[in-house]
Amino acid sequence: MSLTSGRFSWLTVVAISASLAAGCSKSGLESSFVYSAKTDSLIPEAQSGIKGQAGVKKMVDDRFGNPQHLKAWSKLPIDFGGVTASVGETPSGKAVKEILLQFEEGITSPSGDAVSSVQFVGGAAAGETAAVLSWDAESGKATLVSALTGSPAQGDQVVIGGGEVIRNGRVLYQRHCSHCHGTSGDGAGPTAEYLNPRPRDYRHGVFKFTSTNSSSKASREDLSRILKYGIPGTYMPSFLLLKDDELYAIVEYVRFLAMRGEFERKLVTELSVDYSKASVADQTASGTKRSEIIEALTAFLTEDFSDVANSAGDELAEAWSTADTEEALVAPTVGRVADSPESRRRGRELYLSKCADCHGVSGEGNGPQTTIFEKLPDADALYPEAGLHDEWGNVTKPRNLTQGIYRGGRRPIDLFCRMNEGIKGTKMPAFKTVFSNEDVWHIVNYVLSIPFEAEPGVSPGSIAPATPVAPAAAE
Amino acid sequence: MKKFWAIFFWFWPVVALVLCVMAPSQGWWFPGPPGTQMGERIQGLFELILGIVTVTFIGTNFALGWVLWQAASKGDDKKAFYSHGSHSLELIWTIVPAFVLLFIALYQMDVWAEYRVQSFYPEETKQGSVAEFMARQFEWRVRYPAIGETLKDEAQPGDLYMVNELHVPAGRPVKINLRTQDVQHAFFAPQLRLKQDAVPGLIIPVWFDVPKAGNYDVTCAELCGWGHYKMKARIVVESQQAVDAYMRKLQEEQTEDGFVEEAAEEE
Amino acid sequence: MATVSPALHGHDHADSHGHGHHEIGFIKKYVFSTDHKVIGIQFLVTTLLMLMVGGALALAVRWQLAFPWENMPFLGDIFGLFRTEGGQISPEFYTMLFTMHASVMIFLVIIPVLAGAFGNFLIPLQIGADDMAFPVLNMLSYWFMWPAIFCFGTSFFIGGATAGPAGGWTSYPILSAIMEAAPGSGDAQTWWLFGLTLVGVSSMMGSVNYMTTIINMRAPGMTLFRMPLTIWSMFITAILQAFALPVLTAAGFMLVTDRLLGTVFFVPSEIIVNNAEPTVGGGQPLLWQHLFWFYSHPAVYIMLLPAMGMVSDMLSCMCRKPVFGYKPMVYSMAAIAGLGFIVWGHHMFTSGMNPALGMTFMTSTMMIALPSAIKTFNWIGTIYDGNVKFNAVMLNCAGFVALFIVGGLSGIFMAAVPVDIYFHDTYFIVAHFHYVLFGATLFGVFAAIQFWFPKMFGRLMNDKVAKVHFVLTFAGMNGTFFPMHLLGIAGMPRRYADPYFHTYLEHLLPMNQFMTFSAILMGCAQFLLLGNFAYSILFGEKAGRNPWNANGLEWSAPSPPGHGNFDEPPVCYRGPYEYSSPEAEALGQDFILQTSPPPAGVKKADPAHH
Repeated sequence: MSLTSGRFSWLTVVAISASLAAGCSKSGLESSFVYSAKTDSLIPEAQSGIKGQAGVKKMVDDRFGNPQHLKAWSKLPIDFGGVTASVGETPSGKAVKEILLQFEEGITSPSGDAVSSVQFVGGAAAGETAAVLSWDAESGKATLVSALTGSPAQGDQVVIGGGEVIRNGRVLYQRHCSHCHGTSGDGAGPTAEYLNPRPRDYRHGVFKFTSTNSSSKASREDLSRILKYGIPGTYMPSFLLLKDDELYAIVEYVRFLAMRGEFERKLVTELSVDYSKASVADQTASGTKRSEIIEALTAFLTEDFSDVANSAGDELAEAWSTADTEEALVAPTVGRVADSPESRRRGRELYLSKCADCHGVSGEGNGPQTTIFEKLPDADALYPEAGLHDEWGNVTKPRNLTQGIYRGGRRPIDLFCRMNEGIKGTKMPAFKTVFSNEDVWHIVNYVLSIPFEAEPGVSPGSIAPATPVAPAAAE
Repeated sequence: MKKFWAIFFWFWPVVALVLCVMAPSQGWWFPGPPGTQMGERIQGLFELILGIVTVTFIGTNFALGWVLWQAASKGDDKKAFYSHGSHSLELIWTIVPAFVLLFIALYQMDVWAEYRVQSFYPEETKQGSVAEFMARQFEWRVRYPAIGETLKDEAQPGDLYMVNELHVPAGRPVKINLRTQDVQHAFFAPQLRLKQDAVPGLIIPVWFDVPKAGNYDVTCAELCGWGHYKMKARIVVESQQAVDAYMRKLQEEQTEDGFVEEAAEEE
Repeated sequence: MATVSPALHGHDHADSHGHGHHEIGFIKKYVFSTDHKVIGIQFLVTTLLMLMVGGALALAVRWQLAFPWENMPFLGDIFGLFRTEGGQISPEFYTMLFTMHASVMIFLVIIPVLAGAFGNFLIPLQIGADDMAFPVLNMLSYWFMWPAIFCFGTSFFIGGATAGPAGGWTSYPILSAIMEAAPGSGDAQTWWLFGLTLVGVSSMMGSVNYMTTIINMRAPGMTLFRMPLTIWSMFITAILQAFALPVLTAAGFMLVTDRLLGTVFFVPSEIIVNNAEPTVGGGQPLLWQHLFWFYSHPAVYIMLLPAMGMVSDMLSCMCRKPVFGYKPMVYSMAAIAGLGFIVWGHHMFTSGMNPALGMTFMTSTMMIALPSAIKTFNWIGTIYDGNVKFNAVMLNCAGFVALFIVGGLSGIFMAAVPVDIYFHDTYFIVAHFHYVLFGATLFGVFAAIQFWFPKMFGRLMNDKVAKVHFVLTFAGMNGTFFPMHLLGIAGMPRRYADPYFHTYLEHLLPMNQFMTFSAILMGCAQFLLLGNFAYSILFGEKAGRNPWNANGLEWSAPSPPGHGNFDEPPVCYRGPYEYSSPEAEALGQDFILQTSPPPAGVKKADPAHH
């Protein structure tokens, strides 16, 4: 019932029409993807291309489309949606333009407008994706736009479909998510500006709360977990009662938007050194003619840009598919150390040595680091406001640990991940190089006890005070 | 043409009645049978009032149409009946409705008392609440006491947490503590026919007794901000064994340290 | 003089009257006028405009319910508020839409159109006074509407282009008390509260004036029980307003200080909203609900009683019959007003207040249905065996009665506490109050505009157009609001931007679409009213002094009455509803003006009941 198209062809982009039932038909107004501010910082020629060569915008649009007409770049590890079938009888002739398909029992033939492509999984045409001109659901006959290069044989596996998953994901996303996260996933929907903290901008491809190690992306499981349980302490609510396939579709669509944004960023990074407005201004000021720069740009766009795009795609595919593998998963080498007064005391000592800098001695998230002015990432200046800034340039307060609200989840493993691997995109570092796994568990035990302390550093009930050590008090 | 107007005023009430008669078969009626005994009684009271109201509705609308019809049937130059009213009629239509209304009011008291007055609550609910149902913008956070413990107002170390899903045993009265973390919300379980506001600063006990296992919707019924409609939760009613198993599963999940699997593989 | 047509006569008189005084300029005569008639018409035109604004907001709400998250016409494309979203509105914009729809309709349409427009225009004319007791105060009461409109208008965009006030018209704290609680809870909410206060100031000035005028300035012979029911209703409304409004104003100030000065009347401690600092304080959100409903429940009657009074007047005239049970009508209005002060708790049955209060409020609420029932029976009794004129006035009045029956009966469900547990904050409530406020009050207003239009402008409105307007509005109104009862029974809560997110409501979408089409029909029909109104001012058929052959004092004055209203100070000889009385018969007509001296030789009509 599904396909992982990343395995197949190199640069195959299939257009998927994803109009919302009426948003399109009722009026001409369509939603649109926006480009990042970094793209806007490029000179217009780099943004929009020159002399027929694609610039950043076209490069992105060609591979991702717009909300009404999404495109499936099969390189990416995204399940765009499709149905498996097999070739019914071996087509005769060399240039195959018509094929008959058969469906296994239990799989229904998709209706006409849902079919826009056929991808060959096995046989001589394996790896090919062909756009479908017309599809007859009754007989299973697909007429292709252009002839195949390989010739398929009877029984070859194919995946047909028009990206049901991504299309469904887009509809659901527009209904449930876009007013905060924005149509493009830029975290700037109409509601966003009123929320604290601001909704995630996925376009960096970075998600904070993951079960993967510090260098990996978020796994599907992580995103689905966030969708299901929400992020306590923020406006991200729980969508637990959406159906599983709906959650799945939303996750795929969010990954799609994340990859789109990341792809755009990668392209821009490639161009911004020489062709940002600021850099071009600098160059012309120092004597280089603007026409020379444009010439160089044209050459770059002509000769190298599609390779750049391809390798960017490969990097994305690699990174995002790795995130779903077991190697990326955080696995403590030791189990949780039993929660005991000693463990908590040890935890508190370690906490004071590192964590208190930000989270404060009493765990209220008010450590000394929160009052300094940080340096801006790409300028020789300071942020206008004090505090720790995240990747998106927002001030993030270190968590107040006394409230018992844990945004990334309250299971011990969740806290372990946060400490051992850090929180991606924020100033919370990975402590795996500093603390042993065992020590991390001590800190977890301590942190989980903070909300129940009678006063800072003093555990309640049967647990003895941290200092002075009173061995008898430990049961 | 004049008679057209009399018919006009008869037409609409008839449409309304037809619509109401059709409604249950079209799904424009209560969402399923009442899930609780309380809900059944509430619906019974609704039907009682509906009966009284329907009779009144038909009566008054018929009368309105009839006086218009009668007037329309007469010529233009017909002299109007000169009258300032009738004392006895006024008395009748004051006293009769008064008794009907008073009857309705008094007849409702018991159900209300049982629903809200704590001394009328069933015995079983007096041992404490099974869970805290905490509304926040825009979800329902559920907190159960640790297995074998009783629920405290303040969070306890062993408490079990869930969101948007409450599991309770079937066939016995259970009580939950309704709270809110931020603005005012309201707990509305349409199939159970229950509603109670969650007021900032208050802990309000709500009890219900659902005989039949199944899933029951919970929504928010008090404007709580832009995401008001997003507050979708459910109550899962199941056997006591299933609830116990669920609690054990929750506890297991909540103490998950990500290590067990690894160890198993190494062996 | 007797041979001159009434209209010309009035004109002459107004001129001659004017000569006696100094000439007044255009501004003083038509803008900052102290003449109650001009002020009344100013109120009427303003509220009709606001009616269109409120209606547009309502249609936007209905659009979202019928076509959720689809491009909203006008807002999406023309104003381009949500361009990158393809015209899909945001949920906080939806909350703003219904909040402002209610606020505009209640505070800028219903309350001012009844008390402001018709109260102003009719009170001096019907009691035979030359003007209000405090003309300048009266002028101020109108001109305080504009700052209120300005504040409400500002609140639309002050907090951001798409985040107007969004706490609902009831603006319950904490949502309305803490700035961070919702996109519209910032400055927008503050401006909204200012607007509310100004509307209150305006109403208060009006009600003081009405009470004084009615008590002190009645013409000779105009005893209390010879007053038209319109005047009784205005009088009782003024009293209600004078006693209830200060509570709301105080509550509003408390909420403003909570928001701006850090008091905590309504804010309990340890509340965290949108990651703001936890609140400090020992306030109680329920206090707001008590204070708010202590005003707003009587306000429901402020929004209804004057319409009841006017409809009684018009029904009696159009049926050529005395009002059936004049005194019971007066007493029942007084009873509504009295009971109206002790039923506010029925808005709070599920709020968590002491359950014993629930029982008390249920009993008092059930009892308040009684006077309404009496009035309904009396209206039907009034029509009974009358010589009914089936014109637009009559039809709108009959529409009023028909719709009020529905609105009144559906109220009984909510008055019953256990049943209200289920119905509270569902669409059943929305259906109920629209039947009362739109169905009853606005149809009363439509009738009243038609009826008193000749007195205001000296010309008649077109009856045919008005009938078409009536039929379309009546059909649209029922098509829009009757299904809401069923939605309520199906458990659809109010104020949901996307009810279909909940599986048990998914199947209600077609019903909602039908309702939206009805609402659009109804909205379009209002252009007939506006068109008829504007056209008739200029080109309507000329009316004499008494085009309806009515009895009231106002009909003895010229149309339109000049400054000072009457040719000579009127004297009142009888009650206002002596249609078809023997006295009238003796004159060969079926009406007899309150100012006509008793014809010689005819025995005064026996007022005893038959």
